[in-house]
Amino acid sequence: MSAVLFLAALLLSVPVAIVLAITAIWYIWESGNAVLFDSFAQKMFGGLENYGLLAIPLFMLTGELMNEGGMTRRLVALARVFVGGFRGGLAYINLLANMFMAAIIGSATAQIAVMSRAMVPVMKDEGYDEGFAAATTAAGGLLAPVIPPSMMFVIFGVLAQVPIGEMFIAGIIPGLLLALSFALVITLIGWSQQFPKGTWMTRSQAIQALLAALPALLVPVAIIGGILFGIATPTESAAIASLIAFLVGWLFYRDLDPRKLGGMFKRTAANASMILFMIAAASVFGWVIIYEELPQRLAGLITSITSDPFVFLLIVNLALLLVGMVIDGIAAIILITPILLPIATGSYDISPYQFGVVACLNLVLGLLTPPVGIGLYIASSMSGTAPGAILKSLWPFLVAVTVVLVLLSYVPKLSTLLI
Amino acid sequence: MLYRASAAWARMELLAAAVLAVCVTLLILLNVVTRNIGQALFWVDELAIYAMIWMTFLGASAALHHRSSVSITLLSDVVRPAARRVIRKTVDATVFAFSLAMLWFCWRWFLPLDLAQTGFDVVAFQGSTFNFIYAEPTLTLGVPKYLFWLVMWLFALGATLHSATHLLSGTSPKDAT
Repeated sequence: MSAVLFLAALLLSVPVAIVLAITAIWYIWESGNAVLFDSFAQKMFGGLENYGLLAIPLFMLTGELMNEGGMTRRLVALARVFVGGFRGGLAYINLLANMFMAAIIGSATAQIAVMSRAMVPVMKDEGYDEGFAAATTAAGGLLAPVIPPSMMFVIFGVLAQVPIGEMFIAGIIPGLLLALSFALVITLIGWSQQFPKGTWMTRSQAIQALLAALPALLVPVAIIGGILFGIATPTESAAIASLIAFLVGWLFYRDLDPRKLGGMFKRTAANASMILFMIAAASVFGWVIIYEELPQRLAGLITSITSDPFVFLLIVNLALLLVGMVIDGIAAIILITPILLPIATGSYDISPYQFGVVACLNLVLGLLTPPVGIGLYIASSMSGTAPGAILKSLWPFLVAVTVVLVLLSYVPKLSTLLI
Repeated sequence: MLYRASAAWARMELLAAAVLAVCVTLLILLNVVTRNIGQALFWVDELAIYAMIWMTFLGASAALHHRSSVSITLLSDVVRPAARRVIRKTVDATVFAFSLAMLWFCWRWFLPLDLAQTGFDVVAFQGSTFNFIYAEPTLTLGVPKYLFWLVMWLFALGATLHSATHLLSGTSPKDAT
């Protein structure tokens, strides 16, 4: 009965967090453990008593400050210095700028929104197909949850009880691999349709662009450097990054108006509380998962099909693709981690880092696939391109992600080498 | 009238949540500074976590007023407006039932009536109920933890107000979108 209630409420668009909570309430009621109601509210509160979760509002704040601080523009100019002269230069600029942004922004939707506005009109003016321009930008957004810092990795790390800093490091090679595969797609498309010719900057222009972007680059350096060298925890480096983003945007670029800080903190609080509330509700839902022995039962089922970790991950990939199509990626990772991770680590001896990288990248793919591809609609509305036109140019990128996913599933070293 | 109260309350919740987000940021920055000069303040982390939790529950309650929580709108997006109204009222009723349940859970947890009956004598209260909520300390802050747990009451009350408002109000033009 709890399962029916769960699915019905989910489908009827009851907020995901509340679906988790009422399923737990129903389950407790049905199983006659009413004593658990005494600690229900306490359990929700306790689900958030975790130092790592502090990184979520802080990374969101950094993203807000970057948007207002004029950093995007400078990073795009910086990307132009390196790849602007190639044929199809702007497409590569788009990709490279997305990589820089991914090292700062932790959320794919936020990144797609910012980059669509920044890149698609410019590409259109230079003669690129509109759909291709928006598709490249939307695909670039997929780098956000893999290249550190990543909101999804923070949440996965907390749920899986692995150090968030190491989870971030695990994402570096897969992130570069993904970017490389996208570059390959752009090159292949460039062979079949003539891209507009690019122009290299003059030396003085290039130096100017480089100098202008240097302060903005402090943000990713602080985040990744701090974590990589163990100087700061991910939470601390997120706070430092937001301070740098604020100071650079305000004092150096002079694009950031301190009077807008109130609005930014309001948006940060509203968006962060949405995610954190789901995590709080997931902790009471955890009772259902534990008492029903969901992982054990599912493990029994799956281990009877295969004993090969790679085949297991392929099955997981297929299932998650379907899940990601209908459920928001972050909500989905909160839901599936407590169920699938114990099977992956317990029955198949898969590293939690590898599982986290594969699951997060897979679930975020749902942002770009119908019927609820939020990322697709954001790219569409921000760039004024029809979703259909984007989708037509998007499929080679989706194929590339799928290939990378299979590769990451097959070669654990790609995720665990740097840890 | 009820709608205005709900809207005003949501505004206050969001404002408080924003202030708490500022607190979280400043506390962590304070931690970075003090740790680097070798004067680490041991209570900062715990306080920052509680600030984040208060931000979360106040923000989550406000989100119920704005109907901005994460949900799967696959079905309600494709059905006809009449069916959509039915779905929406069902959701409102579900959220309202959840809010009442949260109030009841808070009641069972804090047992305010039992506490009053013992004349607010915590020891006598514990003796009669075996509920030790008022004796639980925080790890580093030196104040009882129930003060921080009080946010669950604020959440339950706010959620009840917002969901009752939606349940009782007609379909406003904004709702039809």
